[in-house]
Amino acid sequence: MKLSLDAYENIAGSSVIQQLRRLGEKLKNTRLVHINSTREGGGVAEILAWMVPLMQDIGMETHWEVIKGNTEFFTITKAIHNGLQGAPVLLKKKDWDTYLEINAQNFQDLKEVLTEAEIVVIHDPQPTPLLSLCSERKGKWIWRAHIDISHPFRPVWKALKPFVQKFDASIFSMNQFAQPLPHDQFLVEPSIDPLSEKNMDLAPLELESVRAEYDLDPQRPLLVQISRFDRFKDPIGVIQSYRLVHKIIPVQLVLAGGGASDDPEGKEVMEEVLEAAENDPDIHILLLPPDAHRTVNALQRLADIIIQKSTKEGFGLTVTEGLWKGKPVIGGDVGGIQLQVIDNHTGFLVNTPEGAAHWIRFLLHHPGRMKEMGKTGKEFVRENFLLTRHLREYLTLILFLLREGRNHTIMV
Amino acid sequence: MNEFEIMDCVLLTRMSGLPPALNLRELRDRIATCHPDVIYHHFCETTLAPSFDYPDYRNHFAVWAKHSLGDEILAERLGIIDPYAYTSIEDLRTATLEIIEERLSELSIVPWARVGHEFHFMKAITVVFDTGERIRHPDELDSAISRMTNGSIYFHILEARRRVPLGLDDFSAWLQNLEGDWSHYVHAITAIDVIFCTLHELQKDLVRELKLIRGKKRKKP
Repeated sequence: MKLSLDAYENIAGSSVIQQLRRLGEKLKNTRLVHINSTREGGGVAEILAWMVPLMQDIGMETHWEVIKGNTEFFTITKAIHNGLQGAPVLLKKKDWDTYLEINAQNFQDLKEVLTEAEIVVIHDPQPTPLLSLCSERKGKWIWRAHIDISHPFRPVWKALKPFVQKFDASIFSMNQFAQPLPHDQFLVEPSIDPLSEKNMDLAPLELESVRAEYDLDPQRPLLVQISRFDRFKDPIGVIQSYRLVHKIIPVQLVLAGGGASDDPEGKEVMEEVLEAAENDPDIHILLLPPDAHRTVNALQRLADIIIQKSTKEGFGLTVTEGLWKGKPVIGGDVGGIQLQVIDNHTGFLVNTPEGAAHWIRFLLHHPGRMKEMGKTGKEFVRENFLLTRHLREYLTLILFLLREGRNHTIMV
Repeated sequence: MNEFEIMDCVLLTRMSGLPPALNLRELRDRIATCHPDVIYHHFCETTLAPSFDYPDYRNHFAVWAKHSLGDEILAERLGIIDPYAYTSIEDLRTATLEIIEERLSELSIVPWARVGHEFHFMKAITVVFDTGERIRHPDELDSAISRMTNGSIYFHILEARRRVPLGLDDFSAWLQNLEGDWSHYVHAITAIDVIFCTLHELQKDLVRELKLIRGKKRKKP
């Protein structure tokens, strides 16, 4: 995909683009490789889909490689992922052996590019052991954790930590997620691409066509939660909230999400959700293909309120997307949602289905407040959570790592 | 006439390496020993870090005291601290510790934060850019400031105070070194209460005050 920074000038301002170009001059021809475990589906792939071409646009030699694995590998890495987010998962020695073996196979394919790179960014736990395998590495390696590892299940963190501590730096989305590690730990919040199909403005006609396609009633309020079918996103809790509201107000609920090749648990969770929905015609459960970005965009724009009732959340880009579309968000009081949902300003933080139901009812009775919150939320995202800020922080971090000095001020 | 070089800056936030504080006593102990950059970050860099613009208080210690310790009295005492009123970070550290110790002596139980609401000590790297833009005459100040980014406002008004001449913003320092009497501009800039403004509000206030002075100058025969 060809992307140019100049396209963002109208949204972010020319000085921001100038800053990025200047950083780009300092990092021109730097060889950088991003490694993750899926090219489609989920927040990491979405971020890399714009970050890689924009890094190329400013002159860096940037590559994006995806590790390959079978269902067994991704079932294990999903368990590691869940364990890092605090779930008491059982991983046997043979599981860890498989995890290392598949990483070793991937290393053979990636050896040259990893050895020669000046900067390698490893996203999340799936490809983490690659560093230990790359004995002749020349560059600096960064571990980027996108998930909430504030309270990991100890046996999982204990097994992964020896791999992580070998990195030169790590990046977390929030300070609560940082762990005692013998290297620099940076804080970089994720962001959205305002010009992507997921976030661009859509014509009213397209919105109405999506409304009709999913049989949504324009006369009744619509609640929307977009997320993978994952227990940490608490889709069952959202259905409980909906039921508490539905007794009083005839709301409709959309639970929509795509699958991802590195998430084999999704099908099982979706079946649980379908069972909980009990064929209620006002609950619309949609399994969307990973590239259904415009549909997601339209559903978020059709919503009166965006829900993200997660019980664990690394950042919650769906919250950012909802705010960008001028919608109030009711979100779980966890992880990165706390950075975005500011009580009474951009939405409400909740801990229970009852709490979510309470604030849904409050908002539906106060349309003026919904509008005000939507406006505040959009500006909040413009100032803090657009890709230009995110890219700038990556570039400054890379510059910092490549320079010898460790002063608190860098002149560019 | 010396030109004013317009700079821009951004922050890169990182963990300080200190363990988080779970209670007020731990907060005191960590503040007593942490690197000065940590204190500076939690008092001064808060305005430039990505966050919601209207927190209850401008420094992280006061916000934590209110929301995580539930101690509104301590929050109010910490919240009114003006970090720019101190000539050094060590003086600011001493003043902060004094308030916390006084509060500890008043309380029969040390207040604790809930798990997940600990105070995390951070610091930041400041990355400074030369924008290439220059101000050639004091009368250009208001229009130049109106085009600046939040980073430029932060760098020239707030961050400037930790550089020589200490405690002074870059615009006033420049004006004082120019030939002629520009004290009316300096007074207008230094009279603005920088603590309770967002950077955008600070920019608007500066532009308004400087424009007013320029307008008055023009009306004089």
